[in-house]
Amino acid sequence: MPQRADAAALSYRDCVSAKIKCLRYYRQQKKRVSRDRVSLLFMGDNDMISQLTSTERQYALVILVLMSLCGLVMAAGGRGDPLGVHGFVVLAFSVGLAFVLISGFYAPQPDPEQQTQYYDDPTKVGIALTMAWAVFGMFFGVWVASLLAWPDLTFDQAWSSFGRMRPVHTTGVIFGFGGNALIATSFHVLQRTSRARLSDQLSPWFVLFGFNLFCVLAVSGYFMGITQSKEYAEPEWYADIWLVIVWIVYFAIYLRTLARRKEPHIYVANWYYMAFILVVAVLHIVNNLAVPISFGSAKSYSLFSGVQDAMTQWWYGHNAVAFFLTAGFLGMMYYYLPKHAGRPIYSYRLSIISFWGITFFYMWAGSHHLHYTALPQWVQTLGMSFSAMLLVPSWASAGNALATLNGAWHKVRDDATLRFMMVAAVFYGIATFEGSFMAMRPVNALSHYTDWTVGHVHAGTLGWNSMIVFGAFYALVPWLWKRESMYSPKLVEVHFWLALAGAVVYVFAMWNSGIIQGLMWRTYTENGVLAYSFLDSVEAMHPYYIARAFGGLLFLTGTIICSYNIWMTVRAGKALATDNDAEGDIPVFARNAVQAGE
Amino acid sequence: MREFFHRKLERKTISLVVAIVAVASIGGFVEIAPLFTIHKTVEEVPDMRTYTPLELAGRDIYIREGCYACHSQMIRTLRDEVERYGPYSLAVESKYDHPMLWGSKRTGPDLARLGDKYSDAWHVAHLINPRDVVPQSVMPKYGWLQRNELDFSKLGLNLAAQRSVGVPYTQEMIDNASKDAYGQATPDTDAASGVSERYGEATNVRVFDGDPARVTEMDALVAYLQILGRLTDAAYKQSASADAPTPVGE
Amino acid sequence: MGIEHDTLVAISKSWGLFYLIALAIAATAYALWPSNAKRFEHAKNSILDDDDKPLK
Ligand code: HEM
Ligand SMILES: [Fe+2]
Repeated sequence: MPQRADAAALSYRDCVSAKIKCLRYYRQQKKRVSRDRVSLLFMGDNDMISQLTSTERQYALVILVLMSLCGLVMAAGGRGDPLGVHGFVVLAFSVGLAFVLISGFYAPQPDPEQQTQYYDDPTKVGIALTMAWAVFGMFFGVWVASLLAWPDLTFDQAWSSFGRMRPVHTTGVIFGFGGNALIATSFHVLQRTSRARLSDQLSPWFVLFGFNLFCVLAVSGYFMGITQSKEYAEPEWYADIWLVIVWIVYFAIYLRTLARRKEPHIYVANWYYMAFILVVAVLHIVNNLAVPISFGSAKSYSLFSGVQDAMTQWWYGHNAVAFFLTAGFLGMMYYYLPKHAGRPIYSYRLSIISFWGITFFYMWAGSHHLHYTALPQWVQTLGMSFSAMLLVPSWASAGNALATLNGAWHKVRDDATLRFMMVAAVFYGIATFEGSFMAMRPVNALSHYTDWTVGHVHAGTLGWNSMIVFGAFYALVPWLWKRESMYSPKLVEVHFWLALAGAVVYVFAMWNSGIIQGLMWRTYTENGVLAYSFLDSVEAMHPYYIARAFGGLLFLTGTIICSYNIWMTVRAGKALATDNDAEGDIPVFARNAVQAGE
Repeated sequence: MREFFHRKLERKTISLVVAIVAVASIGGFVEIAPLFTIHKTVEEVPDMRTYTPLELAGRDIYIREGCYACHSQMIRTLRDEVERYGPYSLAVESKYDHPMLWGSKRTGPDLARLGDKYSDAWHVAHLINPRDVVPQSVMPKYGWLQRNELDFSKLGLNLAAQRSVGVPYTQEMIDNASKDAYGQATPDTDAASGVSERYGEATNVRVFDGDPARVTEMDALVAYLQILGRLTDAAYKQSASADAPTPVGE
Repeated sequence: MGIEHDTLVAISKSWGLFYLIALAIAATAYALWPSNAKRFEHAKNSILDDDDKPLK
């Protein structure tokens, strides 16, 4: 059979080219590994600071001192207001970092040789932060899910009531987990695809820590009741301003590093990352326009009201999904999937066409969050039409990813890392199909306000966003820390099944509850009166809310296992072989693929 | 020419940046810009009033506690919603809502027309422990609202900020904000008289939380809940008039 | 405020459509332009290179 012959030829070719690459890789590793021994270690030593030049250390100190002063001013100006508490948070954060910095302040100057290598320390710390936020955010997810099944799990505390903890969960996972993953991987991808080192060593740290300070302010604020109430844009004005500063620096890193690139063409993954950075900046600034009641108070009122505010909010909300949860993560996918599979993306052209399609269509679709409301009908119709069109570039992207794996299904079968990425692409396809469907007015009449929306969201976030991050991390961690493989490929496998089972249980529970809810609300008796009271529908949800909490628990368990596995890979993973280890001449990726299946 | 253009687009990061922004911003601009002239198409409603300082404080508590995460305030133009909750929501009804609280999820029912539906005492009992009055409820308890005294000190600032974003509060209202908030919940004090003077006779001036001795966060929140859907009669009038759009069935 | 609501709406609707068509043509043309093929081919394969070091 010709097909068979093809497959055999392919794998033979694969082997030969892999072998050549291996040899090259091995020679470089030999040179480097010995020198890098120390920096293989994880944080907790001064090694990361010793990578900074003394000028950079000085600048870092100046920035931290300025930030501490800001904290002091906030604490003083906001006395008696939650703003004051946040002043102390800023102060503690900056002083804490300053201590770390000072402890390594007089370490020797870095080896100028380091300029000939990539700068991955911020990515490493970013990975750790990503996993910390993942566990944190998903833990609160399981908790808020449980509250709907067992409402007295608040233990009568204000901070633990559903309304305050829900944004803790959403911010924790979207910004904490998702945002850190985007920042960490973007630095890595940017350098590899540009074949250039980051433009400097201070600004990536500023972005990483600055962003995490934003997340801390956001989350600690909700517990105290500080919120603008805008979904996914809850943090108050001062945190918003801070994020703008961080974001400008982030964007500058991209521009400056791209300017140093050795590849003439900008690889498409960077397009997606850049669209993510740029558009999120625009969305964030416009949607957060607000007037604080005083500079000594956390409270502000949004500039817009009513219809305008609703449209602005959902223009933001929808496009946060588009550019934060989609474009950025597609960037991740377009790099790590082909890289780990060892196969080029199926169609580069298609990835470009879908890029412009996504960038263009998404922005029109926000009004599908406001069907049948007081928003003018023509805006609703526009939103509906563009949501339908969105399916084309969305499925082009998902299809492109899957087609890349076509012919390598044996790898997908054997390698849980690759399977994570494949499942992510499948869920991305499901979530976008579902989204376009729900954007139709008649469907939305049923789905809006129900758990169906929640089911849809989690097909996207659990199935797509989380899975692609886990896949990317399992590929990236051994590579960055120069390990032969993950500490335990078995646990990667366990994590995969937990995550998949968790996501499926969650999504099915919410599809069921959402559709039942929607139908109950609109069912009439023969006499033409509404058949069910609202409370009937609340009662009907109970079993699904328990199922959802259980699905979430499975997913959280998987995430904890992943964190453990990453931790152990860093601490105790087998370092990439040196001279006398014959196995050493297998590159990280090839080896990983083999091991996972064992 | 084309070739030149493409080469540039690709080689020059800036061009890519500009292209992304241009392509991305058009959709938002097209949809949002016209909404800022929308007031020309929305009928004026002369009876529309602003929130009193106490109601505004209650609204801020509603935001602080995240009630909007489970309750919408937007009745859609669907038959079952109108029958369940009341006349569908009009754009004017939230024109003083900075920010709007339309919500996106109904874990609990819509609240757009909650005002006057239940007694104050019912609300207080319900907020202290929802399951005392509605056994199947999954709503959290909000006992601290009854324990916390309302903080009046900044209400003037709140009103002033609202004015700066377009809500027609007068200087007099701003100056008397704290006093009016106190007065609205203590009908027997001197402070009470000014409230109806400034905000209209229809304003609810009473002890909302059942405790005349203290003005609590409960007072503020209940005052707000009791005004929901009551700032104007426009929606009721419209649903009575013949040429109103009929709600869509399914 | 000289611009009427209806005018804005009309502009939105018509220009939105033109914009969409123009953009679709431009993006497709760019992606399919024969002389770009080589560059794309290079980009798509270059990331697979295992040389994990910035170029000098
Ligand atoms: C073609 C792509 C998509 C379309 C057209 C779409 C459409 C929709 C629609 C119609 C809703 C419900 C609005 C409502 O009734 O309240 C929604 C909600 C949501 N979607 Fe999507 N969706 C898409 C893809 C995604 C993806 C990939 C994700 C996540 C990664 C996602 C995350 C969300 C979130 C977070 C919400 C909830 C918003 C809220 O809080 O109400 N969507 N989407
Ligand atoms: Fe959306």
